[in-house]
Amino acid sequence: MKGDIFINKLKEKITIKDIYRMPEEQITITVDRSDLPETVRMLYYDMGGWLVTMIPNDERPLNGNFVLYYTLSMEGGKMSPDDELPAEDKCWMTVKVYIPANDPTYPSVTRLVPAAVWYEREAYDMLGVVAEGLPDPRRLVVSDDWPDGLYPMRKDSMEYNFRPDPYAHEDEPDYKFNHPEGGGLVDVPLGPLHITSDEPGHFRLYCEGDQIIDADYRLFYQHRGMEKLAENRMNYDQMGYLAERVCGICGYAHATACIEAAERAVDMEVPRRAQALRIINQEIERLHSHMLNIGLACEVTGNINAFMHIFRIREFSMELAQLISGGRKTYGNVVVGGMRRDINGKGIKRGLELLETMETQLREVWDAVMDDESQVDRWKGVGILDKQVARDFSAVGPNVRGSGIKRDTRYDHPYDFHDEIDFEVCYEEGGDVFARETVRYRELLQSISIIRQCFELMPTGDIVAPQNKIIVPQAYALANNEAPRGENIHWIMHGGAQKVYRWRCRAATYNNWPSLRFQFRNNTIADAALIVCSMDPCYSCTDRVTVVDVKSKKSKILTHSDLKRYSQTLKNSPLRGM
Amino acid sequence: MKLLDMTRKYGNATYEYPFAPYDVADGFRGKPEYDYDKCIGCTACGVACPSNAINVELNEAKDKLVWKFDCGRCIYCGRCDEVCPTNAVMLGSNFETAVRFNKEDLTESAELELECCQNCGKKFTTKRLIAYCIENFKKVGWSESVIQEKTKYIKTCPVCKKADSVELVSKHFSKGVKK
Repeated sequence: MKGDIFINKLKEKITIKDIYRMPEEQITITVDRSDLPETVRMLYYDMGGWLVTMIPNDERPLNGNFVLYYTLSMEGGKMSPDDELPAEDKCWMTVKVYIPANDPTYPSVTRLVPAAVWYEREAYDMLGVVAEGLPDPRRLVVSDDWPDGLYPMRKDSMEYNFRPDPYAHEDEPDYKFNHPEGGGLVDVPLGPLHITSDEPGHFRLYCEGDQIIDADYRLFYQHRGMEKLAENRMNYDQMGYLAERVCGICGYAHATACIEAAERAVDMEVPRRAQALRIINQEIERLHSHMLNIGLACEVTGNINAFMHIFRIREFSMELAQLISGGRKTYGNVVVGGMRRDINGKGIKRGLELLETMETQLREVWDAVMDDESQVDRWKGVGILDKQVARDFSAVGPNVRGSGIKRDTRYDHPYDFHDEIDFEVCYEEGGDVFARETVRYRELLQSISIIRQCFELMPTGDIVAPQNKIIVPQAYALANNEAPRGENIHWIMHGGAQKVYRWRCRAATYNNWPSLRFQFRNNTIADAALIVCSMDPCYSCTDRVTVVDVKSKKSKILTHSDLKRYSQTLKNSPLRGM
Repeated sequence: MKLLDMTRKYGNATYEYPFAPYDVADGFRGKPEYDYDKCIGCTACGVACPSNAINVELNEAKDKLVWKFDCGRCIYCGRCDEVCPTNAVMLGSNFETAVRFNKEDLTESAELELECCQNCGKKFTTKRLIAYCIENFKKVGWSESVIQEKTKYIKTCPVCKKADSVELVSKHFSKGVKK
């Protein structure tokens, strides 16, 4: 059976208490918590696993324990072309540990596998399980004024009687940024608000001259508590629409991953036609998202003309989305068991025309951009993501493929209709912004080819499966999905009453953030915005305001703490005397 | 330079839009349009709506059924369109949904008359829903007497129906006891 080679190797060193397979290629092994770091390390470094997600779950109502699921995608180390597992051995390995409720601690995996750092920080914020020996135990998700001892993902945390007040505004503790040792460094804040898309984030760049020595960042300013919301109030009809709202650009990928996790947990077959339609929608999303990103990468380097041309072409992909889903984005289309909208012959014909136009014009624009030396120079050698760093932090998407690693979840773990489709995994050596943007451009052409193949091979039949499956409480499964930014992983454990017990949504960029720090190093401040952009979220204005009084010719720099103090007390205006 | 050549080649890429109407594709999902004359108050749309944009509930005096739509909550999924038996709610092609200053302008509502229960006299469902059912009975091709019996049944409120059937069952049982 799949995964036996890994289990046999593990058994030499570690006692495995229990093995659970559902579906067949997702294997859960239960180990003792003292064996956890070694098990994950062996799977990760010795057998070629990549950490895709970690699900902390409050199972006290079921068995009196907190449970952690470390999920690894077994696909080979991929550091060299032959360092890869054969397709029949690729699978998902989940390491499950029980943590007793009266002693919620476990040995940290991060010391051995750095990729686990964000997951373990989040597990503390959300469930209050402590990773002993975690090198960076700061808060990650909850805000600075969040009261101590309140863990939102615990099932009993919503009891109003037990809910402490948040810190008073003036007592709010400051977040401690990791400041590197040494004098002569200048802090350059970037953030907290983004001008372009995605989440708000705050970056601290530590610079010597205009060279970035190190960086630290604080995100999750817009944590919306969707997982909790879904657990508390939603049924499966509504959850897909909620999952779509995770992201404004790749929402469809989230919806499909969420719905497919629910389907896989009960082994529900989706009709082939619906599968093909799901792939088409996803590729349309990749088309417009990659074009957006290439356009923005041109824009932040000042090439507005190229940006406008790429956005003009992007409009065709929006029209294609309109044909298929009725909206300019591919929202509101997927339901448990299939799809809601079908496409007819007329639509396919128009779709093929649009693909044709898009392909020729894309080639034209890319050719023109490559012709522009000053543009290419701004991209080359900037924001290098080292291959080993990418491996250590389990980076995903164009980010990892730009570092010469052939990692794509459509290829490693084919889902839906992908078993009938030929496509090439695009990867480039170099690890700089140029490599990442080239990967994106080549993927655009691949997406166009995938949509064409889907149109040609489109199976006939229904688009919704007959509703004859019953939700099994506590059945769980994971679903993977290659969103434009990398793989999205959703994990669902069913509960009673046709509701979800635990939904864990891991967006692609979550795995890319921890390695961003290494991409910043040894670059100039001017490139910081480009580096963040090439990862795919975008940049923002600075945290500091310089006020210049034109009449008196005086200027004064207001610091973050000045502004914060004034906003809280409204006394002693920092502008007084100007 | 190549980029400039392309600009000349493709010319103007923008639409006249705010000054000229903008045509949307077939099957575009715009704002749901409500047709009061067709609505029978079955509440299917209110149940289906995933984001609670449509709510159907009794008014404060409990004498009218109120259909309410809040465009600010709508996610344009079109579930209401799918479930509506009479096509009273259908997605239109209107995408200009912004309002100025007053959030109340985002909402729409309609009131439907209620039918009284023939036994207890309490209001329990809309007149139109009952008319819709009777109309459908006629289409089935039942005889006049059957239709009359069914009509009587649907004009009774659920509470009275329960009481009636309890009475019927207990009569039946008491007969059996006598034997």
